[in-house]
Amino acid sequence: MSGGADTDGRTDTDGRTDTDGRTDGRRWIRDVGDAVAYPLTSNGRLLVAAIATAVTYAVLVLSSFPQFSLQLLANDPADLPYAVATLTREAYLTTGWLGLALLTAYALLTGVAVTNAVTLVRRARRRSASTVVGVVPGLLAAGCASCGAGVLGTLGFVGAMAALPFDGNLLRVGGILLLLFFLGRAGDPRTCAIE
Amino acid sequence: MDEGDNITRRRALLAGGGTLLFGGGVAYAASRSGSNEQAYVPSNFHASEETTGFGVELAGRPIAGEPDAPVDVYYWTDYLCPFCKEFETETLPDIGTDYVEPGDVRLVFLAYPNIGEYSLPAAVWSRCVWDQVVDSDPAAYWHWHESAFDAQSDSGGDWADEETFTGITEQTANVERSSVDDCRENRGDAVQESIDVDLETGRSAGLQGTPGFVLYNREADVAGKMVGAHPYENFANAIEQIRNA
Repeated sequence: MSGGADTDGRTDTDGRTDTDGRTDGRRWIRDVGDAVAYPLTSNGRLLVAAIATAVTYAVLVLSSFPQFSLQLLANDPADLPYAVATLTREAYLTTGWLGLALLTAYALLTGVAVTNAVTLVRRARRRSASTVVGVVPGLLAAGCASCGAGVLGTLGFVGAMAALPFDGNLLRVGGILLLLFFLGRAGDPRTCAIE
Repeated sequence: MDEGDNITRRRALLAGGGTLLFGGGVAYAASRSGSNEQAYVPSNFHASEETTGFGVELAGRPIAGEPDAPVDVYYWTDYLCPFCKEFETETLPDIGTDYVEPGDVRLVFLAYPNIGEYSLPAAVWSRCVWDQVVDSDPAAYWHWHESAFDAQSDSGGDWADEETFTGITEQTANVERSSVDDCRENRGDAVQESIDVDLETGRSAGLQGTPGFVLYNREADVAGKMVGAHPYENFANAIEQIRNA
């Protein structure tokens, strides 16, 4: 009897773990979906996401060769499209389509993350100061993820990304995972309970 | 929830279209190839044993243009650098036609190996090729140099190795592979030392990557620095400024 009870217990426990694991995974994916869809809920949010995406992409690409970018833009700020286009070509030739796709995904996810973070901070501010502190680590994680690909360039090591495993793509994948984690953790910022 | 908080079809389409446009724009910028098809071969090359007023050692370095041109353009390059290829194909032909050919500028090729593992060996190849053709057919160096940049992979993959550079050397007319090999094997260390000197001069000038340039008015002893593949207009303005300094 007791053996049977034990067996039943294990079966039950295993069963629950599996179900919970699947549920957690599904919930996380659903939360990521909600988070990504959030900028679609108003024209203003969509605009914020678009601007944040464009700015992130420009900063990431320009910081791959900061000396050139600064010199070109200081000479004539109207050369910004030339600088972004030229360095996009450079990024493609250095890291291939995969690297460029990751860079684009990075910028898009940062756009969504910034929009959601703005809402989170606004809501948290309305509640209490301690809740704002709860949001900060997520924001920092998203911020670091966004700068990761460019930070080595900013330090002046133009070839540094190329010297990293998979031409720096590993760093970009890491950043994207960090952003997805942040987005899935927060979900739709309107319904989110900060854990 | 007011209407403004709903996901409307219009906004979803706008976001989808915007994302596609963004991705398409990035792909377009990445895949556009050089539009400048004009072939440029400097009509005048020369060698020099001097060290310039700016502190650049000229011995063993390829120099295009007239020896008495008032403005020196020191060009630090790396055969593995896509940005250098951009400069070579898009801007250099115009600078050559407008400033090197009339005798206003002489262009000194300096090494700044910084991109990949084969950057340094590629720079040694280049010096040894120059050394072999400088007296007989200096234009052959230019053809070799162009072929090396042409060989850069368009997909960002690894392309630079012994085999590729051997192939380029064998296929370039008037470049004798055995002499180049002899230089690499027997004088490779001395060549590497001269490349280190270039690297150090570039770093002292504040360069952190390639392509890097210093424009130097030899008479007035005035210099200006440029970094990266700037558009032609920026180079033209900078050359005029330095020339009139």
